[in-house]
Amino acid sequence: MAVARVDRLTYAYPGGPDALREVSLTLEAGEIVALLGPSGSGKSTLVRSLAGLVPHFHGGRFAGRVEIAGLDTRRARPAELAGEVATVFQDPEDQVVMAIVANEIAFGLENLGVAPREIWPRVDEALAALESLHLRDRRTAELSAGELQRICLAGALAVRPRLLLLDEPTSQLDAATAELLLAKVQRLGATVVLCEQRPERALAVCDRVLFLEQGRLLLDAPRAEARDWLAENRPCYLGAGDARNRLFLAPGPLVVRAEAVSFAYRPGVPALDGASIAVHRGEVVALQGPNGIGKTTLAKILVGLLEPSAGLVERDGRAGLLLQDPGRYLVRERVVDEAALAVGGDEARALAALARVGLTWAAERHPRDLSSGERERLALAAVAVAEPDLLILDEPTRGVDPDRKAELAAWLAEYAAAGRGVLVATHDGTFPADRSVALGEEVRVVA
Amino acid sequence: MRLAPAPATLLLAGAASAALLARQLASVAVLAVLLLAVCLRSERRRRAPYLVGALASGIGVFLASPLLAVEGANALWTGPTVPVLGRLDVTTEELEVAALNGLRLTAVALAFSAYALLVDHDRLVAAARFAPRSALAVALATRLVPSLERDAAGLRDAVSGRGIAVRGARGYARLLSPLVAGSLERAVNLAEAMEARGFGRSDRTSAPAKPWRRADRAAVVGAAALALAGALWL
Repeated sequence: MAVARVDRLTYAYPGGPDALREVSLTLEAGEIVALLGPSGSGKSTLVRSLAGLVPHFHGGRFAGRVEIAGLDTRRARPAELAGEVATVFQDPEDQVVMAIVANEIAFGLENLGVAPREIWPRVDEALAALESLHLRDRRTAELSAGELQRICLAGALAVRPRLLLLDEPTSQLDAATAELLLAKVQRLGATVVLCEQRPERALAVCDRVLFLEQGRLLLDAPRAEARDWLAENRPCYLGAGDARNRLFLAPGPLVVRAEAVSFAYRPGVPALDGASIAVHRGEVVALQGPNGIGKTTLAKILVGLLEPSAGLVERDGRAGLLLQDPGRYLVRERVVDEAALAVGGDEARALAALARVGLTWAAERHPRDLSSGERERLALAAVAVAEPDLLILDEPTRGVDPDRKAELAAWLAEYAAAGRGVLVATHDGTFPADRSVALGEEVRVVA
Repeated sequence: MRLAPAPATLLLAGAASAALLARQLASVAVLAVLLLAVCLRSERRRRAPYLVGALASGIGVFLASPLLAVEGANALWTGPTVPVLGRLDVTTEELEVAALNGLRLTAVALAFSAYALLVDHDRLVAAARFAPRSALAVALATRLVPSLERDAAGLRDAVSGRGIAVRGARGYARLLSPLVAGSLERAVNLAEAMEARGFGRSDRTSAPAKPWRRADRAAVVGAAALALAGALWL
């Protein structure tokens, strides 16, 4: 039985080009559908269409028909669809309403008019399903991004929707937690649309694959058939771009060395305890480890943003850091000014940096008019423009499609080959690097 | 044993009122110590800024007000004459008043700290059962502060990560506009997520509050008794 039907859907955001073009599909009860495609291909727009947010919340031009559990989304508002559909968006911080975890999960149930006596048992059941009961009375403001992502999913599960829409639900999670979460999703029994930029995760649990590109649905096929199609047409989505095939020369002199460094944001609670790492000129090093292990803290110590409470840091030359979610942290009114900030307003260098990330066309635009992927490329240009001797990137592949990831890896390899050091803090175990370091312990050297 | 949000808030309000109305230094001191003990039941990492703020404001009043007040004849210290303020001096009477006012302020600040640290605000506003949208706005505003803090720190680190030092009021002022723009973006995203979660439906229900226990009822009576005692006897 069909839970959702999309019939020749074409949609454009106000003043924008078509984000979806003639998309038609049917979602059957209980199936898990992986929604793949490059950044800007229309995945999130399709998710929003299935939730009724397009067109009600965003406006724009809408043609075709979307039906959820028999309700036409042009007539039924998102709030009316909410009992049938639950959505977990990409950034958990932007969807949490209440101050306490249990209240946050109860919020959706209260909105839907669930009988009061059922609310707390369903809150506990949803938390237990995600092994998060211990977070029940915690303050949402104090949770890590990974914990918040679990709470958002618990809020969606508590509603017991027929259609669960997950827009990159594992983007903030380490591999083990992501696996746990997707295994739970697999056992739900609901129809699930799983939008993922790490295709290997989605392909491991899905029944069927949709592939969008430039707003068009290029593929709608069962998993096995989809794998064949991807292998032939988009090999990056099957990990073909992840091979560590870079010709690795002997590393140059040290650009940074940290020896037994420790740091605590609060007395008695170490965020980093005796970590050691060294990065040489000419190499790309992946700094790996699960959520909360202290990768970001170490990155900040290496560039000098934090002073370690113990240990030694030696750095040769200047360092630059690209933070997680850098698109949020843009500070100027024009793209070119943003890129020129670190070089004293030198527009020529800024334009060259923008050209390297393919954003020359956007030089005069406001940074916040760019898409999230474009903003992240702008942030990279804004850090790299000054050509720091040590370039550190914190989770740069979050929300990045496989093609872009391969491009980024190639760019970083080129950057390092010019005699600079690159450190990539990531829980993406497939990121191409010369060697990987797990906080304090070198685990692999690939030549 | 935790009190329900409404009785807990009333009890804290009662204690703050009693501290403001009481005239005996010892009575206010006892109230301040009791409120401090309540605050110490919260998580250590969260309570520090509240306690520092409460104690600093009380000490500030105790130190500054004797210099500004003109009261009493038993001078303990006489200082220079300052334009506008006149002659600076400290008398025994001024010290007594300063101690009382400092303790009053500390007690009120501690009552607020206990409210901020220990009361479930979500359930408190839900229990009010009127103006639910305003109540939700209050809950969201409560969450806004830590989000803004994180965004401000992120902006500072992002700029510093490019090798640009953020220093002084001017340096931070430059981050104000992107901070506001970022919070507006968050607000739009949140509004979208709320709509997707059914906010605004007419058939809304409310998760049941735990029934009041004897301690909750006693807290309400205690709140009134504290305020009355503060006005009449303390």
